[in-house]
Amino acid sequence: MDSISYYLQTVLNGILAGCIYALFAMGLTLIYGVLNFVNFAHGELIMWGAYFLFLFMAEPFGLPLYLAVLPALVLTGGLGLVMDYSVFRPIRRANRLTLLIAAMGLSVFLRNAAQFFWGAEVRTYGFEVMPGTQFLGLYLTTPQFAIIGVTVLCVVGVYLLFFKSRLGKSMRALSDNLDLARISGIDTKRSILAAWVISAVLAGIGGILLALDTNLHPEMGIANLIKAFAATLIGGVGNLWGALLGGLLIGLAENIGVLFISPGYKDGIAFVIMVLILLARPYVILGERSD
Amino acid sequence: MKKLALSVAVVALFAFLAVPTARAAEPIKIGAAFALSGSIAVYGEGFKKCIDLAVEEINAKGGIKGRKIEIVYEDNKSNPKDCVTAVRKLITVDKVPVIFGPAGSSNFMATAPVAQENKVVLLSAQGAAVGLTKAGDFIFRVFPSDTLQGPHLAKLAIGMGYKKVPVMYVNNDWGLGLKNAFVDAYKKAGGTVTDIIAYDEKKTDYRTELLRASKGAPPAIVNLTYINEGAIQFKQAFEMGIKTQWLCGSAARAPKMVELAGKAAEGVIGTYPSVPQNTKQYQAFKAAYKKKYGDDKIPIFGDYNYDMVYVTSKAIERGGTTADGIRKALPAAAKGFRGVTGDKTFDNERSPKFAEYGIWIVKDGKIEDYKK
Repeated sequence: MDSISYYLQTVLNGILAGCIYALFAMGLTLIYGVLNFVNFAHGELIMWGAYFLFLFMAEPFGLPLYLAVLPALVLTGGLGLVMDYSVFRPIRRANRLTLLIAAMGLSVFLRNAAQFFWGAEVRTYGFEVMPGTQFLGLYLTTPQFAIIGVTVLCVVGVYLLFFKSRLGKSMRALSDNLDLARISGIDTKRSILAAWVISAVLAGIGGILLALDTNLHPEMGIANLIKAFAATLIGGVGNLWGALLGGLLIGLAENIGVLFISPGYKDGIAFVIMVLILLARPYVILGERSD
Repeated sequence: MKKLALSVAVVALFAFLAVPTARAAEPIKIGAAFALSGSIAVYGEGFKKCIDLAVEEINAKGGIKGRKIEIVYEDNKSNPKDCVTAVRKLITVDKVPVIFGPAGSSNFMATAPVAQENKVVLLSAQGAAVGLTKAGDFIFRVFPSDTLQGPHLAKLAIGMGYKKVPVMYVNNDWGLGLKNAFVDAYKKAGGTVTDIIAYDEKKTDYRTELLRASKGAPPAIVNLTYINEGAIQFKQAFEMGIKTQWLCGSAARAPKMVELAGKAAEGVIGTYPSVPQNTKQYQAFKAAYKKKYGDDKIPIFGDYNYDMVYVTSKAIERGGTTADGIRKALPAAAKGFRGVTGDKTFDNERSPKFAEYGIWIVKDGKIEDYKK
């Protein structure tokens, strides 16, 4: 592999990792924006999304991939609603710490539940591994084309929803000021439900793409959540475009960094960037909007 | 009539209560702090099967001096922190004299000082890290140390004509220990290490690490990896068109790895502490496993776990049920004992004195012995 394609491949790897982080971070930041708390159980939506697809592709359903995706995403969206209804709605007005702890508890519960149904072992969807297609000296597999394509589609979809639709406007109003939005006659309940569904579906899509590209594992969500969290912080919590950029930035930085320093510090790179950005822009964590 | 029924009931109750006071019938508890959830639960489930098989056999033959063995399993969640919690619980709540320790050298080494301080015997059936038992005289292993494996891997690389290799390893006690043992022996044999790449466990994306290792298209890459990590890495390397001869250690040698990686694992070669399969002990074990579980895919390190139960039960038979008694009896109980995995005699470091190493290769989706 010659030198230029070596670096280009690294950039491509960074973009692939970044797309996945961005999909997770967008859902995370959306819930933060609307409900003002960090949903630590978001990682479990990622993992359950991937396992729901596994459920529909395995016996007794045995659906092909393209047919199994839809019911899997519907169930993931449903799981988001169930999470809200059973855990977060009763403590909607509680302080942030209570919500945070509740989310962590829910995360452990959902992870163990997945382990109960599918076991702790690593699984795959059972597709034969294929060599990537060579493209300008770069290798790209079908799932990787899908990662990039679907991420672009999701970003466009989220853009249209948030900036062109009434529902999106009401969600943005909600995220600016809950009480003011309610007084202005916005149906806050409906907007919150919509936020959960969108956040869960984005997580589910990301989880499925990640599992198609790698494996299924009960800890796949929690392992990537930390990066998604860093991405939301970098982008400014509650800021959708920030989450997208933050995800890509982390993906690129940690992959390019590996070429120059020991890969043992790969995770460190993401967090060094996060800390530097927080130092430069401390208002991010104080909750003031950066947009 | 009613009175009679009542008195019968009372007598029956007393009789029932009286039985457990006969101490001989009480089971001997052995703790097992195993990975039943978390990232290396793949291993834990397999170990449990083989432990249960050995226990069932021993109990069917009347147990140890009439007392049955009971294993108290405690989930260690595959991380060092929860391993320590699990071992503490087994020591303080279940009060077991001997514990089968966690897999994963880092996990095991986190718990070793706890067992040593509390004077409880701790055994490992798969810990290969150099220095695994150094916490003290209560810590044993029935699996050979990598001090022995490193030179074998170096010999394999040189023997296949690979004089220059990059080395990738999983960044923990096991990976680091084997990496050092390999690099030392390889350099002494005239080899050159072109790059050293440490990577973390439990990742889903190793593409850039692989890319870095493949820089300059090396004909062989040494990768000291695990089942899941290895499967992901071979897959991603295959997808990126990296063509090289992978040389691995023992931890990736598992049917599960091949199942996960599919044809991307074809041709992967590695060393492993070999267990001669033509012995009558091995054949008996394999047959018993197949009878109980219906398949003959022996889980990785399952044979060592099976032997660990027998070595321990022999020590209990000889030294009694106290931790100190078991510790003192272990070397004598294991001396010359031929288990499924060969001669289990301990050396001064409480590790197996003897080990044979074989070479494995993935061929047509199966793990086979490599023939030159």
